Amino acid sequence: MAKKKSKKKKSGVKIEFISRVKLHEKEFEEKLELIMNGVKDENILVLEEALNAQEKAKLIEKSMEECDEDFPGIEFSGFDSRGNWIEKILYQITGRERKDGLLIVGSSDIMEKVEEDKDAISMIAKLE
Amino acid sequence: MLKKLKRLLKDLFGKKDEIKLGIYGPPNTGKTTLANRISKEFTGEEMGSASEVPHETRVVQKKEKVRLQSDGKEISMNLLDMPGISTKVDYKEFVDHGIDEEEAKVRSKEATKGVVEAIKWLDKVDAVLVVFDSTNNPYTQVNVTILGNLEAKDIPIILVANKTDLDDAEPESIQDAFPQYNFTEISAKENENMANLYKKIIESV
Repeated sequence: MAKKKSKKKKSGVKIEFISRVKLHEKEFEEKLELIMNGVKDENILVLEEALNAQEKAKLIEKSMEECDEDFPGIEFSGFDSRGNWIEKILYQITGRERKDGLLIVGSSDIMEKVEEDKDAISMIAKLE
Repeated sequence: MLKKLKRLLKDLFGKKDEIKLGIYGPPNTGKTTLANRISKEFTGEEMGSASEVPHETRVVQKKEKVRLQSDGKEISMNLLDMPGISTKVDYKEFVDHGIDEEEAKVRSKEATKGVVEAIKWLDKVDAVLVVFDSTNNPYTQVNVTILGNLEAKDIPIILVANKTDLDDAEPESIQDAFPQYNFTEISAKENENMANLYKKIIESV
């Protein structure tokens, strides 16, 4: 279970980069817990891995379940893995999915999305 | 090719007497206005109340046995107006709309449950209208997530660019962002281009 949001006042925003190697060792539920704990600590996480659509839906669900007066939810963005049709068929056969890409996620009270498209993202971290 | 084969097999063996048509999208894209427009047209009754306050629809609204007709064809469907999907629900946003703090906190909790319910319904719908506000940037993680989940489940999708009556509407930006999907533009509020949407719904199921 993800921890409660940190109440300690911070002087800045910590940005945590998590490598593909570290993520590769983890099951999705563990990654979800890692993300939720990180955002509730008011960190911005940059994961060297993309989530697929089902995983993103789980991330939204989880953040909604954890929402309360102190934690209004998350903002996330990233670059998705762009597998071609051969890779998609291989995934259906083998279950091994390409995860290259990027995920940036943070609590919505410190992270604001400015603009996003397939190839570019800009965000503002609010320092209060 | 694999998709076409699946569709062909579904057409031959999997036709349902009644389909569940889900109306999805982020908050404030006009989902309830659209649901009301369709429901009023084919049943004479509206489904729910639309509002400028986000998350007005916090539980799934259902209208059963809606007999949609277009070009001499007819389908029977259960129309499902989903709560708007978002990644954040801040009670202060409701307070900014003039709702008192305690009520805003209750609404906020209900809204989070509504989002979870809408996501769970992604497994149960037969076809989906994904509704966009044509005045906003369509490329958001919420839209990418909704579309990706539906595509993975091979559920027919129609992108609906709504609010085309507004001066700053740019419906073409939606088609540019997601060119691979069936697309139509409407104004549910002004009842514009609805016949084309009905035709596309019948064609897609």
